[in-house]
Amino acid sequence: MQGLRPQELAEIIAIDRKKCKGCDACKAFCPTDAVTGKYGAVHRVDGERCLFCGQCLVNCPFGAPQDTVDIVDKVIARLKDGRTTVVAAIAPAVRVAVGEEFGLEPGALVTGQLLGALQTAGFKILDTNFAADLCIMEEGSELITKIRHYALGEAAGHAPGPLPQFTSCCPAWVRYAELYCPQLLPHMSSAKSPLMMAGALAKTYGATEVWRTNPENVFVVGVMPCTAKKFEASRPEFASAAAYWHKRGSAGSYPDVDVVLTTRDLARLLKKLNINLTAAAEFSDADNPLARYSGAGTIFGNTGGVMEAALRTAHFVITGQELAALELNPVRGLKGVKAAGVTLRDAKTGREITVKVAVVHGIKENLGPIVDEVVAGRSPYHFIEVMNCPGGCVNGGGQPINPMGTSWLDKYKAILPWS
Amino acid sequence: MATYDYVEKAIKITRREFLGVVGVGAAILWTGAYAATDLVQDRTKYIKLRAAGLYRDDAKAAARQSHNNAAVGEMYKKFAGKPLSPLAEELFHTRYVDRSKLGGMRS
Repeated sequence: MQGLRPQELAEIIAIDRKKCKGCDACKAFCPTDAVTGKYGAVHRVDGERCLFCGQCLVNCPFGAPQDTVDIVDKVIARLKDGRTTVVAAIAPAVRVAVGEEFGLEPGALVTGQLLGALQTAGFKILDTNFAADLCIMEEGSELITKIRHYALGEAAGHAPGPLPQFTSCCPAWVRYAELYCPQLLPHMSSAKSPLMMAGALAKTYGATEVWRTNPENVFVVGVMPCTAKKFEASRPEFASAAAYWHKRGSAGSYPDVDVVLTTRDLARLLKKLNINLTAAAEFSDADNPLARYSGAGTIFGNTGGVMEAALRTAHFVITGQELAALELNPVRGLKGVKAAGVTLRDAKTGREITVKVAVVHGIKENLGPIVDEVVAGRSPYHFIEVMNCPGGCVNGGGQPINPMGTSWLDKYKAILPWS
Repeated sequence: MATYDYVEKAIKITRREFLGVVGVGAAILWTGAYAATDLVQDRTKYIKLRAAGLYRDDAKAAARQSHNNAAVGEMYKKFAGKPLSPLAEELFHTRYVDRSKLGGMRS
């Protein structure tokens, strides 16, 4: 298949032809025009163009698009085999949405019960929020190196990549850039997404320092609000832990992240195991360092969250002081493109610099002009956050489904669905 | 013999005109209904409530900046050294694929 490498999952989203009414609602949300089929006829998804973001799935009024990668039983088998250390890496946006599948209000924050329920099911915990903090350290350091080199004139060992730097946490955005704007790839942060860092860390540091087991026995399950993460986990380069151990004399080949469950899949798994999330005992693994996270790590699930987290740390590293007001309101909220500037005084040189940032969510509606500026070389920004789904990961394609659809950010779209 | 002098009332509107009027009326009702459900049901409710949940989680966190997560600092000390160290590059960084060169994409 074209646009895909041999090991990669080729089909994740497929439209159930018995349920499709040919209403074109999915086309109104598809960022890449991957849905084909005339109005009134059964539609199908073109896997070569598809980002696997699942926006069609969470917005179809008839529930026709399906997530075809079902590994719930495989995970249950691993949990019960008694030999495997099954590690759950839980994304930030899952803890405010999984409650909906158990009758709670949307937005109910259930971190304690969720981790407790996972422990009851037999999972070990590596909070993806911890990996998000780690991601900020890596991606932020990369950004600061570039700012010091290009804007403050500091010599770097080797020329760092060009500015602006794009975030690389969203797998649908990464696939979008790889498919449709490869000229942007040098601008992408080289940092892996938090989940992929979590996988590599679980099978190295986690195996030796925390769970004290053979890395080959660690089975990492990403619990994500996202269907595109299923694709990301299948990318062949994400086998860094195996490569690490290979250099140290042990053979064996395994991916960093073995499988990915969406929020919906997780709810199904818990229900199959007769675990009620709302009645679950609170989490009791306080001595596990991989379950600790900062406030910056948890807001990764919102549009603007990665940016806010990065600026909190960049401010400290460049000026030597913490930000006085941590809430960066210009990057919060549901405006399509949010821009902000933060003036920092470099503690080393005493020079001042205004770091300009932009936040984009909803690739279909809002990405175009930002990309055009970067391609034309006149982008005013240093750092640009892109998330594919409107609203960010909290509205991801793996989240609980509301039959009204959750991505109607522009009201005119609700009145004129075809526009 | 009885005579029937009943004459049917002449139709003043053609079939086309009738369909046109009904169509326009239906369109007005349809948009009105949509606008009305919009007032009742805030379609961005789910995103807003979930986002607010994460901001609550942030506000109550003991440490609110990534560099103040002591567990991350400990991991660097025991294992990866510092950000962008060779080991960190090996485990935490990646490369990208120009998929437009993977074979004839239909564009």
